[in-house]
Amino acid sequence: MAENSKNKQARGRRKRKRPDAQSVLNLNIAGKIVVVSAIILLLFGFLVVRIARIMRDNGDQYKKQVLSQQEYDSVTIPFRRGSITDRNGVILAHSERVYNLIVDSYVLTDEEDTIEPTVMALNECFGLDAAELRGYIRDNGNSRYHIFKKEISYDERTAYEEYVENYNNEINEFNKGSEIKRPKINKNGVWFEDQFKRSYPNGTLACDVIGFTTKDGRGQYGLEEYYDSTLSGSNGREYGYLLDENALERTVVPAVNGNTLVSTMDSYIQRVCEEKIKEYNEEHADEYREGEMGSDNTGVIVMDVHTGEVLAMASYPYFDLNDPGNLDILPEELQSYLLEKAGWKDSKDDEDKNDEDEDDEEEEESSKEKEQSYQERLEACRQKASQSLWKNFCISQSYEPGSVGKTFTVAMGLDSGTVHDNDVYNCGGYLTFGEGDNATTIRCHNRYGDGPLTTKEAVEKSCNVALMLMGQKIGKERFLEYQKNFNFGLRTNIDLAGEMRTSSLVFNKDTMGITELMTSTFGQGFNVTMIQTAAAYCSLVNGGYYYKPHMVKQILDDDGAVVKNIEPELLRQVVSEKVSEQMIDYGIGVVEEGTGKKARPAGYKIGGKTGTAERSGQGKRDYTVSFMGFAPADDPQIVVYVVIDRPNTASQGENATRYACVICREIMTEILPYMHIFMTEELSEEEKAELEERGRLPQDQEIEENEEGGESEESPEEEEEEKEVINLYIDPNSGYAIDPFNGEYLDPKTGEPINSDSGIFQNSDGDTIDITVLKDDEAEEKED
Amino acid sequence: MSNEKRTRGGFDYQLFFVTLLLMILGIVMIYSTSTYRAGEDPYSFVKRQVLAEILGSIALFTIYFIPYSWLKFMGRAPLRYIVLGVSLGLLLLLLVPALSHTAYGATRWLNLGFFNLQPAEVVKIAVIFFVAGYISEKPERVNTLKGYLTCLAVVLFCGLMVYSISTNLSSALIIMGIGVIMLFLSCNDWKIHLLVAGIGAVGVYLFVNWIINSSMDVNNVDYHFKRIMVWHDPSAYVLDGGYQTLQALYAIGSGGITGKGIGKSVQKLSAIPEVHNDMIFSVVCEELGLVGAVVVLILFVLLLARCMMITLKAKDNFGKLLCAGVMMHIAIQVILNIAVVTNTLPNTGVSLPFISYGGSSATFLLAELGLVMKVAKE
Repeated sequence: MAENSKNKQARGRRKRKRPDAQSVLNLNIAGKIVVVSAIILLLFGFLVVRIARIMRDNGDQYKKQVLSQQEYDSVTIPFRRGSITDRNGVILAHSERVYNLIVDSYVLTDEEDTIEPTVMALNECFGLDAAELRGYIRDNGNSRYHIFKKEISYDERTAYEEYVENYNNEINEFNKGSEIKRPKINKNGVWFEDQFKRSYPNGTLACDVIGFTTKDGRGQYGLEEYYDSTLSGSNGREYGYLLDENALERTVVPAVNGNTLVSTMDSYIQRVCEEKIKEYNEEHADEYREGEMGSDNTGVIVMDVHTGEVLAMASYPYFDLNDPGNLDILPEELQSYLLEKAGWKDSKDDEDKNDEDEDDEEEEESSKEKEQSYQERLEACRQKASQSLWKNFCISQSYEPGSVGKTFTVAMGLDSGTVHDNDVYNCGGYLTFGEGDNATTIRCHNRYGDGPLTTKEAVEKSCNVALMLMGQKIGKERFLEYQKNFNFGLRTNIDLAGEMRTSSLVFNKDTMGITELMTSTFGQGFNVTMIQTAAAYCSLVNGGYYYKPHMVKQILDDDGAVVKNIEPELLRQVVSEKVSEQMIDYGIGVVEEGTGKKARPAGYKIGGKTGTAERSGQGKRDYTVSFMGFAPADDPQIVVYVVIDRPNTASQGENATRYACVICREIMTEILPYMHIFMTEELSEEEKAELEERGRLPQDQEIEENEEGGESEESPEEEEEEKEVINLYIDPNSGYAIDPFNGEYLDPKTGEPINSDSGIFQNSDGDTIDITVLKDDEAEEKED
Repeated sequence: MSNEKRTRGGFDYQLFFVTLLLMILGIVMIYSTSTYRAGEDPYSFVKRQVLAEILGSIALFTIYFIPYSWLKFMGRAPLRYIVLGVSLGLLLLLLVPALSHTAYGATRWLNLGFFNLQPAEVVKIAVIFFVAGYISEKPERVNTLKGYLTCLAVVLFCGLMVYSISTNLSSALIIMGIGVIMLFLSCNDWKIHLLVAGIGAVGVYLFVNWIINSSMDVNNVDYHFKRIMVWHDPSAYVLDGGYQTLQALYAIGSGGITGKGIGKSVQKLSAIPEVHNDMIFSVVCEELGLVGAVVVLILFVLLLARCMMITLKAKDNFGKLLCAGVMMHIAIQVILNIAVVTNTLPNTGVSLPFISYGGSSATFLLAELGLVMKVAKE
């Protein structure tokens, strides 16, 4: 200003002497004000020039600068991956919306006094380190985007927002009546970004079937991989674009969420299957071979015979879907076994053979390297080991079906008319076929021979010789044709990722000689997968109809509307209904009279077929044992197929087969009542006791004690007395049951009451238990 | 155009319409710049501005219709001191926290419930009144060093008060500028002018030089000193306030000759802080280009020219000085604002008369124009 006035002075001086007519009084300002005005005009001109120069000199650069500051790059709006539910709507996999917490330092530093309350709120609600936050905001005042916490749940976010709301309201109240204005929490300085996180609420349940997703949201294994495109939606986008030279337009394209799968699985049945095979494997760990579980693999498939729907598909070992690479949930023994199989050698102390030369020279240094490489190798092996778990045993591993395959041979014979129900086969313990040098002898498992057998008996006794004789009648051509019809050698095309191809693992016209035909008749020499066998067996017991096995019955969209119903797909009729009836009859025979007696659950009539196969190409003797069961016998509804790969039981070979039967029995005992299939058979005393133990005894059945309970799981031995069943309530405070007669506590575990002798049987329901108590007078007598 | 007619007391339509045009342009630009950040009601800023302008118009016409003698009376000895005293009193009220309102790190507003008053604006009009009264009472006394310095001292004191209480350097400079120029117009003794100018020039030169050359840490220097350093090199001090200046330059630069079209500014969206306020001219440049900027400046030239004419035609010294003071006020503010926006001067926070958003400024400028029109009428 002073400079300006100096100028004005200089200019004004020249015009000073001009006479001023306008001055009314003695004040003469006219000249000077003209001068000042001129200067103002000059300054205006100068400013216009200045503006023009900025435009001319820096116009293009600034234009670019302005555009580059705009966010016309696009922002992705993530889609939500569809859920997977079981047939009853129980959620097996779903994507939760989670949030990333973003701190905008730029906004916060703009209103500096709001930093402190905002930082405190973040500290309070998310446990973020206040000092770190303060430091970050102070040091990065220009940062607009920094993720401070990931995967915040909706509840946490709402809690924070409520906190902010309450706090700011309080401050508003306070500020109204106060001279000192206290700062509020800066709402704009902190915001949340959407994200989705895949979670599997049931952890390990149906892990092999469901599969998991990678960090970038791609499905791996199982349904997640097979239905990846169905489950995936498409990302939305928010983007800006330049309309013409420099106008900016923003558009939002919303995300399309993925579709939901309704699986054919029943999570209860699935859970039962998994529990039973887990029990088996843990029980038989270390039994035959040290350091191994009950088997290398155990698989169970439960199928609905009339639709091809898979109700359960379980295998052991398992993994946690929420953390697929984590081996720690498995028993330690199994972990080390898996590591060993993955090529792990604990060679920390040994010289590493590959690096021997280096080791000689620099031993000290290499010890460190060794330690490092040890960790690396361990990690690599752990990865390899966990990868081996992800494969679904039921569809991705082949084995020789063993005697279960005999069922199919018999069905072929009956259906083609080459074998008849009333045929009699004589088993002398072995069969020699071929002539001269090609003569081959194959023994029956019973080396002393089974003697004369009807077709049914051949199945019941699982006689190899009888089956080979049948095979000779059927002939190679017919055998192969039927095998193809049963889908052996072909994929079932079940809707799961990773189904194995077995076309090279069965014989064809060129590769099948007489020996191959002979071994094939009793299920050796060719390979199958579990799902192939189970699906084919369904067709034998449902009237001869082969349904394509499937895992998903419905696809729903984001709003729950049906996009697609997946109907049962009938592919062909493989055998006639009459043959099917005969096969059911034979199957019943196996369980009633033959090798599968152990498989019958108490109170039910079922049918099935056992299987024992020697594992080929292993050098030593290993077995794959199995049991294929169907229930109920008169009108088969479900098929339960259990396969134990390399059982680690004390008894090997055929004797191990009973464990497959036992698993089947255990499973059926649980799931048949659940499926509303009623008991048809009389219960023996033993069975009653067993059911009672399980809490599965039908409600209307009277409880009777028995003395013969020789098995370990049997009920306490007691004299029969007049007893009644009453409901007992457990005191929620003490956990003791209360005697309804005198209100005193009873120990629900031992059944030891304070004043009476009684047997208490805990019901699995928990809070009410069935109890048999001696009548009061009896108890008194005893005390006396 | 007959000057006789006007001096005889016609309503000054030229002045009125030019002002009206400027205000309409101002409202359009405020709407354009403020909607994006106005929140729920896109017109909230516009509404408040229109309200302030209506209030200012009421003041304008009130002044226009009250007898001229009353105005002259207020310029007399006891009353002008009271006027000045009252305005300074309002300024002092800022020190009472309950009555004051703080924004952008400075306490410049008195909270009157429905309206935030900027006492500095009151002081400006009071100083114009005071100097006009002081000089016109005995015009010859400013030719003496004592009289001149007395008046100058009062002006400088008011300026310092504004600066120290409301930390508003720009208003302080404007007040001093108005006072000094009014004295310059009135005083015929060139020795005094030379003396004052010399001391002032040397002082300013030394001050600026010291700031620029000092190697002081930018974080430790005073708010205004910082701005001077930023002005010297805005891109080097982006984080310390250079950002606003730089973004304003980007806006001006990207406008081109004809601009991007009204409402199409990109910079107003978020880049420029206080864009509807001090920096509104940068968006005028961006949206309307060089053409728009020149049009705005021509409007101001017309306004100022009209004021000059009225000053020249005014019957008495009091009227002349009053008009001259108002004219200087507007001129200084326009020049300062545009100079700041174009980074010709350091960022001081001056609003552009009639165009920038700001209730107090609009109201009091209209009141001042009321004085001018009153003088024109006489």
